[in-house]
Amino acid sequence: ADFNAKRKKKVAEIHQALNSDPTDVAALRRMAISEGGLLTDEIRRKVWPKLLNINTNDPPPLSGKDLRQMSKDYQQVLLDVRRSLRRFPPGMPDEQREGLQEELIDIILLILERNPQLHYYQGYHDIVVTFLLVVGERLAASLVEKLSTHHLRDFMDPTMDNTKHILNYLMPIIDQVNPELHDFMQSAEVGTIFALSWLITWFGHVLSDFRHVVRLYDFFLACHPLMPIYFAAVIVLHREQEVLDCDCDMASVHHLLSQIPQDLPYETLISRAGDLFVQFPPSELAREAAAQQQAERTAASTFKDFELASAQQRPDMVLRQRFRGLLRPEDPTKDVLTKPRTNRFVKLAVMGLTVALGAAALAVVKSALEWAPKFQLQLFP
Amino acid sequence: LRLSLGLAGRMGSEMESSLETSFSSSGAVSGTLGLLPPARSRIFKIIVIGDSNVGKTCLTYRFCAGRFPDRTEATIGVDFRERAVEIDEERIKEIQLWDTAGQERFRKSMVQHYYRNVHAVVFVYDMTNVASFHSLPSWIEECKQHLLANDIPRILVGNKCDLRNAIQVPTDLAQKFADAHSMPLFETSAKNPNDNDHVEAIFMTLAHKLKSHKPLMLSQPPDSGIILKTEPKPAVTCWC
Repeated sequence: ADFNAKRKKKVAEIHQALNSDPTDVAALRRMAISEGGLLTDEIRRKVWPKLLNINTNDPPPLSGKDLRQMSKDYQQVLLDVRRSLRRFPPGMPDEQREGLQEELIDIILLILERNPQLHYYQGYHDIVVTFLLVVGERLAASLVEKLSTHHLRDFMDPTMDNTKHILNYLMPIIDQVNPELHDFMQSAEVGTIFALSWLITWFGHVLSDFRHVVRLYDFFLACHPLMPIYFAAVIVLHREQEVLDCDCDMASVHHLLSQIPQDLPYETLISRAGDLFVQFPPSELAREAAAQQQAERTAASTFKDFELASAQQRPDMVLRQRFRGLLRPEDPTKDVLTKPRTNRFVKLAVMGLTVALGAAALAVVKSALEWAPKFQLQLFP
Repeated sequence: LRLSLGLAGRMGSEMESSLETSFSSSGAVSGTLGLLPPARSRIFKIIVIGDSNVGKTCLTYRFCAGRFPDRTEATIGVDFRERAVEIDEERIKEIQLWDTAGQERFRKSMVQHYYRNVHAVVFVYDMTNVASFHSLPSWIEECKQHLLANDIPRILVGNKCDLRNAIQVPTDLAQKFADAHSMPLFETSAKNPNDNDHVEAIFMTLAHKLKSHKPLMLSQPPDSGIILKTEPKPAVTCWC
């Protein structure tokens, strides 16, 4: 009963924000982040366009069919969309699903045609299908086009260098909260590719329950474009014990982390990701992310030592100590960040879930204004 | 060499829910034999590369889970599967298959990390798609750039040989190419249900070669150590 009352209240608040003139986008953003997100697809159809500052009366013309002949991406898109059966609701009749798959192809080709600076990547289709299923073909094209030139812009460069750069934020975030976990993952040399599909599909590729996917989309649409990498970090942190119980090698840790549990406590994790963002905003992590790139280069040269050690025994603890010993002196930036770590950790624990989400949302929006090469400001009017 | 059925069943249901699923049968095998945990020297790391949709995921799944997956999706980044095998009736080897994304943009900046300490490379093309065959030189070139050692065993696999009426890459052409690059060629189908041993034989041959450290130039049949019903031949005709 309490749950229903809360829900009713939230629906009313969302409608109030929608109906005020001008639309109270800040309030909608808070609703999208706070517990339960936007609740229903019906509400999402109204609110998502507002979060992306899209005028729903003015969708782009759809002419995808003609594009199939000329598009250089058509073959790849076709291959990926044909194989993406799992994205559609289980009970959906084949005929209906096939119709939606055709629409999916059309939307993708249309956006690529209208934005020649954007490059298709495998996984983009996982994002587009989410919008298609929630808002329908015409509106999906508008929303995804805006998203592609903003939140997803870095993933759609000619190369994935910027995507890789964003992945480099993952380990510094983990390091801030849980240095032990961070060090373990570093000595396993697990890399960050396990989180690649999470990041570039906004988890659409890896979560089987569509309700969880749209809940996360509410959150990400309302937030800074780097929020998905904070959420990825929060998932890894949530699985701390499992990771530490793993053999300390690339295969075991990659294996564990790439299998995302389907029963994650999403609301808690969302709230935590918001907290982390406020605590350690991207500007603060930028330096460490750059250092990460440096460390990747040095990792190869130290690897022989680990191999040698591990050939004789299986000393995860020893290995980790050796790795610390090896790496720390080479990395002077680490020292600077090590000292305040304890304080931060305590502070974080105290703040924890008690941080008012409204405040988190505000900070998230504010810091979005400070970021980043390709993120444009008109998204947050 | 068969996986236990229970294990395969569990894998099957996981495959439905997540493409990122990986497989391990090491628990089952080491349980039976009661050995120490596998040391690193007993792991073979094999990377599987080739164009999009040639069947890399299906091949690795077939080998690790023992059957063709019901459906697969595009691989994003790198997936990992593994299986413990017995070679020479005693030693346990864990074969790790690293299944990579086919789209070019992924391999350029993403996949290098996973070339590290690779023991062997499997190049895959789709026999019904000549473009995937023509991409092989660039895959080979790229592989050279990533791998420090030149003598890492490499094999060439033509997949989907069950689609007989759609074959675009004739065997003699593929064989010439394989010879020119000093690789053995296998034509196979990850799908064909009557052909259960062939995908198995390919990876086991590779594992065996890795173990014996001989250069992987086929012209001799594999040694007696591998327990197979039929032995793979050097230039393989389709076993469908």
